[in-house]
Amino acid sequence: MIEFTIDTFVVEMLRSGIRLATPIILAAIGAALCHRAGVLNFAIEGKMLFGAFFGIVAAFWLGNSYLGVAAALIGGGIIGALFALFYLRYRVDLIILALAINLFISAMTVFFLRVSFGAFGSWTDPSIEQLPDIHLPLIESIPVLGRLLSGHNLVIYLSWVAAIAAWLVLFRTKFGRHIRAVGENPEAAESVGINAARVKLFVLVTSGSLAAAAGAFLSVGHLTLFTSDMSNGRGWLGITAALFGLNNPIFVFLAGLFFGVADALAVRLPTVTHIPPSLIQFLPNLSALLALVLVGLRGPIRTRLARRRRRGRRGAGAGIESLPPTGPPATPTIS
Amino acid sequence: MTQRIRVQARRRLVNVLLVPVLAIASGLVVASLFILLTPTPPLEAYGIMFTAGFGCEEIGRCALLTTLERSTPLVLTGLSAVVAFRSGMFSIGQEGQFVVGATLAAWIGYTLPLPPVLHPVFILVLAVIGGGAYGFIPAILKVKLAVNEIISTIILNSLAVLFMTYLVNFPMRADAGSTARSPLIAESAVLPSFLPGSQWGVGWVLAVGAVVGVLFLLWRTVAGYEQRMAGQAPAFARYGGVQSGRAAIRGMIISGGLAGLAGGIEVLGVSHQIVPGFSSGLGFDGVLVAILGLVHPIGVFFVAILFAGIRLGAQLGLQVSAQIPRELGGGILALIILFVSAQNLYVDLIDRVRNRFSRRGTTTDD
Amino acid sequence: MPELSPAAGDHAIDMRGITKYFAETHVLADDDVSLTVKSGEVHALVGENGAGKTTLMNILFGLQQPDAGEIHVFGNLARIRSAEDALALGIGMVHQHFKLIDSFTVAQNVLLGSEPTRAGWLRPDAEQQIVSALSDEFGLPIDPNARVSDLPVGLQQRLEILKALHHDARVLILDEPTAVLTPQEARSLLDVLRGLAARGRSVILITHKLLEVIDSADRISVMRQGRLITTVPASSVTASELAELMVGRSVALSFERRPGAAADEVLHVEELTVVAPDGTVQVDEVSLTVHRGEVVGIAGVSGNGQDALVDAITGLAHPESGSVRLEGRDVTDRPVHERRAAGMAHIPEDRLTVGLNRATTLDENVLVSHYRERGFARWGVLRMGPIRRLAEWVRDTFAIAAAQPGEGIATLSGGNLQKIVLGRELSGSPSCIIANQPTRGLDVGSIEFVHRTLLDARDNGAAVLLVSAEIDEVRALSDRIVVLYRGRIAGELTPDEATDDLLGLLMAGGARAEETPS
Repeated sequence: MIEFTIDTFVVEMLRSGIRLATPIILAAIGAALCHRAGVLNFAIEGKMLFGAFFGIVAAFWLGNSYLGVAAALIGGGIIGALFALFYLRYRVDLIILALAINLFISAMTVFFLRVSFGAFGSWTDPSIEQLPDIHLPLIESIPVLGRLLSGHNLVIYLSWVAAIAAWLVLFRTKFGRHIRAVGENPEAAESVGINAARVKLFVLVTSGSLAAAAGAFLSVGHLTLFTSDMSNGRGWLGITAALFGLNNPIFVFLAGLFFGVADALAVRLPTVTHIPPSLIQFLPNLSALLALVLVGLRGPIRTRLARRRRRGRRGAGAGIESLPPTGPPATPTIS
Repeated sequence: MTQRIRVQARRRLVNVLLVPVLAIASGLVVASLFILLTPTPPLEAYGIMFTAGFGCEEIGRCALLTTLERSTPLVLTGLSAVVAFRSGMFSIGQEGQFVVGATLAAWIGYTLPLPPVLHPVFILVLAVIGGGAYGFIPAILKVKLAVNEIISTIILNSLAVLFMTYLVNFPMRADAGSTARSPLIAESAVLPSFLPGSQWGVGWVLAVGAVVGVLFLLWRTVAGYEQRMAGQAPAFARYGGVQSGRAAIRGMIISGGLAGLAGGIEVLGVSHQIVPGFSSGLGFDGVLVAILGLVHPIGVFFVAILFAGIRLGAQLGLQVSAQIPRELGGGILALIILFVSAQNLYVDLIDRVRNRFSRRGTTTDD
Repeated sequence: MPELSPAAGDHAIDMRGITKYFAETHVLADDDVSLTVKSGEVHALVGENGAGKTTLMNILFGLQQPDAGEIHVFGNLARIRSAEDALALGIGMVHQHFKLIDSFTVAQNVLLGSEPTRAGWLRPDAEQQIVSALSDEFGLPIDPNARVSDLPVGLQQRLEILKALHHDARVLILDEPTAVLTPQEARSLLDVLRGLAARGRSVILITHKLLEVIDSADRISVMRQGRLITTVPASSVTASELAELMVGRSVALSFERRPGAAADEVLHVEELTVVAPDGTVQVDEVSLTVHRGEVVGIAGVSGNGQDALVDAITGLAHPESGSVRLEGRDVTDRPVHERRAAGMAHIPEDRLTVGLNRATTLDENVLVSHYRERGFARWGVLRMGPIRRLAEWVRDTFAIAAAQPGEGIATLSGGNLQKIVLGRELSGSPSCIIANQPTRGLDVGSIEFVHRTLLDARDNGAAVLLVSAEIDEVRALSDRIVVLYRGRIAGELTPDEATDDLLGLLMAGGARAEETPS
């Protein structure tokens, strides 16, 4: 009996974790793509909020939640393109531009909420349907995994597909290799004819779409409502997850999952123990910070190893030393 | 010779003022497009907003005083950002440092009894130290491990807010009632205000003092000189003997201290306690104020008043009298920042216009 | 790709009347230069730093646009506006600073931008095959799957050459390729280049190390101060004749230099070795001494370790081994401000980003060398009065009329900017002055001013270490001359011994008859 309860508790918590992780994962994959191209996209939080708003409003007007998500995807892509325009063409400072966009979206979503719907604080409408859960016939029947893998809504599956697709693109396609080249050494990439601007435009549009989809998931995927500042820092968590996962889509996915499960723990654990939720949420943030520290340690460790290797080489006599100039045999000497 | 100096100085002043003025104007123009969606016409709406934010009918009902008081935390967090930016660190950790200072202030405010003047002074000093310590963390991470300070300060902000939420909900909880809040601080710790009914008081004076202090620090001290050079021209600073790591860390400690002070003053002077969701953007606004204020203490002072006034005007005027949601205030501010950051567009325009107007010959050196 | 004329001896490249002027630095880099390169030849383009060779080749490769002149490629008039245009015409360039993606493999770098794909998917085995075939065809063995970050510099360069060959370069430009190679690696590279020429390609070699190429090149073109002096077959000229043609005739001093009266030691460098982060040895066990009232000139083409040596002496770089003593005190590991306090002044090579902060005022620029001194700061607070007076002193003593205390310096000319640096560095009567390329890019009047100022300082008892690539300057100002080549001292001379050919020879890697290679 006890096993059954624990089993259900764990599985339910993991399911919840997957659900909570989805917006973070989508944002993180977009952020990872941008980082690979050498772009620090700090507007992801704002784009997520935009997607939450636009998604639910479109779902309301078009009468279908799926269309709402699609609208968010497109809208997010357009905002990403605008961001790219200001950054690439007009050379506006990336970070300031991002902060301004975040503030604008945060303010104007609430503005439009009131002006268009007369709502204060939050808004919903009975006609909006939650995104339906999709049950995968065969997978459902697998004992434990089945309950974890099946029965999620479209956007959750989209996040899984996005992670795999991002990995494939980055490491198995020509364009993905160009993205990585631009991020690592833009001069080298341009010298062989790769258009760095086009690559950056692509990652900004894609991450805009993904972030907006994440937002739509928040508003339409589970709760069917919109509140001000609904994204609540998940965009920033996405960027953190991307760095945590070293910008490799598979690791990034796992990092996002980690944050999501921690979130789920934070909700459920207080019901069985006395630990308050705010402290539990401390954990993922703290581990993100530690992860950044570890990543930062890579640099100094590497140089120290290289120096030791060099010293060994030099001691053995071989190596890149300059030998004394040996003048050519006959003519060039002066007497 | 002096004539030319005067011309050059005038030109510089014009340059410095022109971009923000144009940005503000552009922001208002674009925002008016959104106002068209509401029943109130734009010009009328702006009139209402500016009177509600900056108007002063009588001493008892003076919006300007409220704006000044509301500008206090913005001035301080803005100064915090200025010091950080000028040291070459793009820190947005004001939010977390603010919370640290505020929590310390709220806690000592009700746990440690002290005589009247000593109490707030002691608390504020601790708030500064707490904020400074919290600013030290991202600095050392950046200098020793090259950890990006934008991300680390964001994470540290979350950590501070989460910890504060925990404290207010449990150890520091005032009563077991529905909303969590900390106990009110003792009377002896409260920062007095100048007028009854208004909260404009000693806190604002401290903010003004901080403006003068930061001006002095950055432009009149050795430490400030080192920091500014390290931020502006790192190779030059190194060549002159500035140890840039130390300068950056020092800058961040001072920056954190200013934000911590902001939190302390907010508790001691205004709210007298902390609740979850306490800071809600005040730290972040400081960054925006610094950017709009062209990263200069005097700019920060005036922009903070503008910020606070627009927010207040939007809240009391637009929302109450014009049926325009007060969030438009935030939208206007965001647009202004956008236009300031896109100043490349302006600079070309300004130069072109100036060239057309002043054909009196170009001044060259030598 | 335009039609190739495969017959060796035809002109692959014909540059006519190329002129390029850089307004920001007031430099005429190329002055009506006409150069031809034949198919199947190795053509060396030699000259000192600033002679205009790199600019000329940047124009050929599309990285710069000429102000005048035309370029004909394989007989056709060509408009080369970008690197892509150049590549399309069959011109490839291997830069001094490699453009490689460190985390990618050799094959991935060679094929960057033109990866073979099947419906967008990469094909790593095809990549490996292509690169192996390429390296076999041209005799450039390399492992296609090696990661660039693991490769030694010589192989990285080979990779760059393969990259250019993959883009079907018929004309290969190499910019100072042997600068990063050991002598053995340099020899094997030159063999490879000869092999390419035998296969009908043209190779243009930009270098200042004429001894290394005199055996391998077919024809040699000498450039000096923006002009093409001559083009000769390599077999018809000796190294010393070339050195004489290369060496510049810069400013003839208008005043006589009185010989210095050297006294006790001020600066003593002992067996100093400086290693760059990537492992290359920049300064190799250099020892030298500068006495009070003496000017020691370090001659050598830029890039032979002078900057690393200066950085180690002034405290901007950490030496691997060896020591630096100032007035008897060991300052090897001491920070910059301690050396300044001990009396060291530094006139840096880069006046724009290191010597000055153009974003701030004259006062703050002048302050940087003195801000820790008691006269200018008390208890951490700056004393604005003395600072302003110092700025005024610099302006008046060094006649920089356009500079105003309290005003910015961004619009001042190069000469005035250097005067600010000089004035500031000399204002504390330093005992040891390190001057690195102090007259680079200056007009005649300013050059004379700088020379006079340095000699005055010497006469007043300072020890001056002068680093310069201008032979005349070194000869005119120095009491003793040290030539640096590849991080080592190639020779020590007195000014009388330092004839143009001997100096040029030592600077280009040769050795004197009497001296045994150290």
